[in-house]
Amino acid sequence: MSAGQGHAAGRKPGRALVTGGAHGLGAAFVRRLLAEGCEVTVLDKDPAGIDTAQVDFIRCDLASRESLDRTLPDLVTAGPYDLVILNAGINATGRFEDISAEAHLEILRVNAEAPMVIASRLLGTGAFTPSATLGFVSSLSHFTGYPGGASYAASKDVLAVHAKGLRAVAARKGVGITVAFPGPLRTAHAERHAPKGADASRRMDPDLAAIQILADMLSGRKTSVPGRATHAFAIAGRLMPRTVTALMRRLIYRRLVC
Amino acid sequence: MTGSVTRSGARRILITGGTSGLGLAVAKKLARHHKLLLSGRKSQIEMAGALPRGAGYIVADQRDPERSTEVLLRGIRDFGWDSLDNAVLNAGVGFAPADGLDGPEAIRETLDVNLVAAMLQAQALFPLLAKSRGTLTFIGSVAHTGSATFPAYAASKAGLHGLARSLRSEWGGRVSVQVLHPGPTKTDMHAKAGHDPGRMRALFLEPGDVAAMMASAIASRRSPVTLSWLRYLSGGAYLGRRL
Ligand SMILES: NC(=O)c1ccc[n+]([C@@H]2O[C@H](COP(=O)([O-])OP(=O)(O)OC[C@H]3O[C@@H](n4cnc5c(N)ncnc54)[C@H](OP(=O)(O)O)[C@@H]3O)[C@@H](O)[C@H]2O)c1
Repeated sequence: MSAGQGHAAGRKPGRALVTGGAHGLGAAFVRRLLAEGCEVTVLDKDPAGIDTAQVDFIRCDLASRESLDRTLPDLVTAGPYDLVILNAGINATGRFEDISAEAHLEILRVNAEAPMVIASRLLGTGAFTPSATLGFVSSLSHFTGYPGGASYAASKDVLAVHAKGLRAVAARKGVGITVAFPGPLRTAHAERHAPKGADASRRMDPDLAAIQILADMLSGRKTSVPGRATHAFAIAGRLMPRTVTALMRRLIYRRLVC
Repeated sequence: MTGSVTRSGARRILITGGTSGLGLAVAKKLARHHKLLLSGRKSQIEMAGALPRGAGYIVADQRDPERSTEVLLRGIRDFGWDSLDNAVLNAGVGFAPADGLDGPEAIRETLDVNLVAAMLQAQALFPLLAKSRGTLTFIGSVAHTGSATFPAYAASKAGLHGLARSLRSEWGGRVSVQVLHPGPTKTDMHAKAGHDPGRMRALFLEPGDVAAMMASAIASRRSPVTLSWLRYLSGGAYLGRRL
C-alpha cells in the first residue's frame, strides 16, 4: 500500500502543526491528532471554536503578507515538527467574471502563496524532526477542473505542483511530502459553496477523511485521495479530462449560476 | 500611435510581455496582418525603436497585479479599442533558487506576475473579448507538471493550466480560452532566472519557431497545446492555421 518515503507505517507524531485548524477538515485533523496524544499547534485567523487549553494557538491571517511575515519566526520556534499539515483554504463560487478581483486575489494568497511560503521557510530552517511529514491539502478539483470555482481550482493546482517540486529537496532533509486531494466534505465551507439543493449526505464526513489522509501521511504515501467516489472521480479526470470537466460544468456551474 | 491601416481580417491583438523573447517574436510575426498592442515593464523610451510597425505599447508592471490591470485597461481604451479579438497573456518571470527553496519574495513575485496578474487581466478583459467572440491565450510552460529547479515557477504555470481548464468550460461559446505550453526556448529567460542550462541550451527551440507554433495554436483555439520539439518536427511551425 505505502509508496515508502522511509517511514514506519502507523508512526505516531509527537508534535504537529495544522493550519486552518479551527474549522472543517482542519478541525477534524486536530481532533484526531489530540486523540492520538499529539501536541498540536493550530494556526488560524480566529481562535473561535478552538479549545486553547488543548492546543497551542497561533493567530495569523494568511491573506495578509504582513501577518504571515510576522508569524513565520513563531512558527519555526514552535517546532521542530513531526507532522505539518498545510490545510487552510478559502473559496468563492459563481461566474468567474462576477466574483470580485479582491476575492480572487485572496484565494490565491491564502490557498497557494501562504502555504508555499510556509513550506519553504520550514524546510529551509530545519523545523522538522528526522523523518517528519509535510502534508499539503489540495483538492479533487486538481483532477477534474472546477467551472464555477476557477480561481480556487487554480490555487489548488499551484499547491499540488509546488509540493511535487519540493519533494527532492525535502527528501534530502529526511522529510516526506504527501499531497491530499479530498473531494466534497460535509463541512460549513462546502455547504456555502455547493449548488443549492445539492445532497449533503453524498459529501464525505470530514472526520473520516481526516483519518484516511493522516494514515496516508504517516505511512509515507505521496498522495492521498480519501473515499472511493473521490478516487473514481480522480481517475476519470486523469483519463478523460474534457469529459469530466464538462460533467463538472453540468453538476456545479450550471446549478450555481442559474 | 494608432498607425496601422485597417484591413478586413485584421485582428486587434493584445500581447503582455511583448518587450522581448517569445512575446516580441510572436508580435513581429503577427504585425504584418494585424493590429497590435503590447505591454511590459520596460519604459516607452526603451521600446521606442524596438516595436513592430504600428504597434502600441503600455507600461504595466505586473508585480502589482491590481494596479497593472487597471493601467492595461486604461491603455487599451486610450488606444481607441473597445473590443479585442485576441489577448495573449505571456508576461512571465522565473527564479532558480540555489538550494531548491524559493524565498518569500521570489514566491510572491512569481505568483503575482505569472498567475495573479493574468487572472485579474482575464477578468478585466472578458467584456472586450466577449464583444468579438475572441480568444484568451495563457502562456504556460511544459514545466507546469512540476520542477525541482524552478518550483514556484512551475507551480505558477500549473495555476494557469488549471485556470484555463475551468474558464474554458465556463466561457464556452462566448470567449475561447486556451493555454499553450512552450518547451525550453532560447530567450533571455533562463539567464534572468539565474539558471545556466549549460550544454542543454543547444537542445532549446528557436524563439521564431516557437512563435510560429504559438501563432497557429492561437488560430486553432485548441487547449491545452504543448509547443515542443515533437510538434516542431511534425511541422508545427509551418503547417496549421493562420490567424
Ligand atoms: N523561454 C522558455 O524556455 C520558455 C519556456 C516555457 C514557457 N515560457 C514562457 O514564455 C513567456 C515569455 O518568456 P520568454 O522566454 O520570452 O522570456 P523573456 O524574454 O524574459 O520575456 C519575458 C517578458 O515578460 C515581461 N515581464 C517580466 N516581468 C514582468 C513584470 N513584472 N511586469 C510586466 N511584464 C513583465 C518582460 O517584460 P520586460 O522586458 O519589460 O521586463 C518580457 O516582455 C513567459 O510566460 C515564460 O514563462 C518560456
